[in-house]
Amino acid sequence: MGVTFDKCETRPAHIEAILNGLDRYNPETTTVFQDYVSQQCEERTFDCYANLALLKLYQFNPHLLQPEVVTNVLAKALTVFPSPAFSLCLSLLPAHTQPFAEAQNTSQTSDFVESVQKLARLSTLLESAQYAQFWSTLNSDDLYADLVADVAGFEELVRIRIAIEVGKTFRQIDADVLEAWLDLRNGEALEKFVTEVCNWEIEKSGSSVVVKVPTNKENEARSEVKSERVGIEQFGRVLRRGFEQAA
Amino acid sequence: MSYEERANAHPNLGDESDVEEEALVNDYREQVNFDDEMSDLDRTTSIDAASQAPDLQAQLAAAATPLEYQATLETKFASYDNYCNLFHYILNSDGPVDLEVPSYYWAWDVIDEFIYQFESFCRYRNRVARSGSNEEEAQLLRENPNTWGCYSVLNVLYSLIQRSQINEQLAAMKRGEDPMTVAGEYGSRPLYKMLGYFSIIGLLRVHCLLGDFSLALKTLDDIEMNKKAMFARVMAAHFTTYYYVGFSYMMMRRYGDAIRMFSHILIYVSRTKNFQKGGNSYDAIAKKNDQMYALIAICVALHPTRLDDTIHSALREKYGDQLTRLQHGGPEALPLFEELFRSACPKFISPTPPDFDNPAVNVDPVDHQTSIFMDEVKNTLFNPTIRSYLKLYTTMDLKKLAGFLEVEPEKLRSWLLVNKQRSRQIRWVEGGLLEGEVVSANDLDYALENDLIHVSETKAGRRLVDWYLRNLARVY
Repeated sequence: MGVTFDKCETRPAHIEAILNGLDRYNPETTTVFQDYVSQQCEERTFDCYANLALLKLYQFNPHLLQPEVVTNVLAKALTVFPSPAFSLCLSLLPAHTQPFAEAQNTSQTSDFVESVQKLARLSTLLESAQYAQFWSTLNSDDLYADLVADVAGFEELVRIRIAIEVGKTFRQIDADVLEAWLDLRNGEALEKFVTEVCNWEIEKSGSSVVVKVPTNKENEARSEVKSERVGIEQFGRVLRRGFEQAA
Repeated sequence: MSYEERANAHPNLGDESDVEEEALVNDYREQVNFDDEMSDLDRTTSIDAASQAPDLQAQLAAAATPLEYQATLETKFASYDNYCNLFHYILNSDGPVDLEVPSYYWAWDVIDEFIYQFESFCRYRNRVARSGSNEEEAQLLRENPNTWGCYSVLNVLYSLIQRSQINEQLAAMKRGEDPMTVAGEYGSRPLYKMLGYFSIIGLLRVHCLLGDFSLALKTLDDIEMNKKAMFARVMAAHFTTYYYVGFSYMMMRRYGDAIRMFSHILIYVSRTKNFQKGGNSYDAIAKKNDQMYALIAICVALHPTRLDDTIHSALREKYGDQLTRLQHGGPEALPLFEELFRSACPKFISPTPPDFDNPAVNVDPVDHQTSIFMDEVKNTLFNPTIRSYLKLYTTMDLKKLAGFLEVEPEKLRSWLLVNKQRSRQIRWVEGGLLEGEVVSANDLDYALENDLIHVSETKAGRRLVDWYLRNLARVY
């Protein structure tokens, strides 16, 4: 399975052209990238490499920085965890945003700084697989809702990511646990999501409900013995020597 | 006293070009923003070749010579102007210029020093603003926001790359064609070719210093990372390249690739005994050497791998005790991770002038990048614990293990998910540095059936071929 960080299937040709040329540094392209971010938010696509180029333009031209675009980029990066996308975005933000600072140490922090810190908190919870806490944090404050409001289907996208991660580690999982992780608080919603979106099965016996994940490459955990690979090239020197001696 | 007056008062600090004209240029420069800044080079004083000829050699030598540690701001400003003039002369004269450069390594030295001065200027400026103690210097820096600007520095590097058609040349070489067919008027000359080539390495470094790790790796698309590469002929360049590539991989959480890069160059250095004696770059290389061992220690702790024997024993020697503590993980290891990271990371910079009026908001970019890296370390801190326990069992009950570890079962589930996720990594196979395949990087795997953990281990079979060949070579 090949992965290429700088490519994106859904990337339009004009963005590709800017990224490959020196126009990626031209402040005039900022608006083009900003529109592209809105497009990603609406169409549920994600192009990390292009978004980093926008953050770089902000880094070089701080007066152009639009806080709500930055928070949208960060919110989009949350939907692809676990991945370095979010931290790569943070690396290009101004240092004074102090994403992981203990909050409330200064009263004069701007709204922007507070937003970045809130999103970083969400990222930490997702990256450390504390899904139940992620949802309770997200629902604890209207500010969070505002931050992810522009990202169409944010909750759905995160739920799918969580399901993918669960599918890699579990063959069977207790419905109660999964309910909390996906924030689907009633049995019906969970059943619908699990069977329709994930194609998993639900098994009920008595009071306990168990979700069964079909076997995949990641969750089979097979023991194997890796044998060494032997290629003819390894013997090149020995063979050559044989000929040299003969001559 | 403004900078122009200062420059006039110390004409010897300038580049020996017409001082008045220089002052005009500076005056002009202050009024410009981006558009003009990108073409900064076109506007600075051009050197009148006839009258400047004797000075040119001095200027070439100066451009490749480090500034004194105690250099004043005036000297730093003057040095910047010096570079602008020199690069303008090289890039924008009537056709390629014939230069007799002081040494074979000049092209590398000049790019290296140029970036180093940019880096140290940005860090100095940030420090002045942060400490808020030197009002005079702050004022001077405030008045000259475009000196050592990021756009000018990138402009120089990109212009050298484009003029020399170096990317086209490298691409042709990759295809096995003659690079001269695409080199053009400039790129066919060794000086331009070398400047262009080392500008690519320079870009890698600048992007990394600015925290743009993916673009840093992307920059090297046309360069093949092997011993035949051009950078390998200049030790310092060879070294620098692998350090920044390895570091960028590390920040992209591709620890396997980072270890591969650091190991490659460290083995090379350990075998190249010659450089160790004397040489003025020895101290710098020795320091980077230690830094890379520290980074390997971090990477190996986050991503257990079998290291090359040479590296492994050197690592034990330098960081033995620390390595054990890192590999053990847990909250006690956190300060050590941070300490090693800080000692070994590049000196990150902020490309724009700081806020001189609010010292508190000028956070050191090194603190910024460290906190970002440490967040990932914190998230994966219990991976070693998980692994050490699971190694002992083939099946295990989650609640029982949680009892052993004295944590809530819910917490243990999170740890298991995190460890599983981090054991899948992207690893380079072929093509550009950013490409790769997802591989399972751990010999320990597991899956949960409700609360029952099934553990499996991948064992490596005996390696016979290597042994056989080695012994064969000995007797035959």
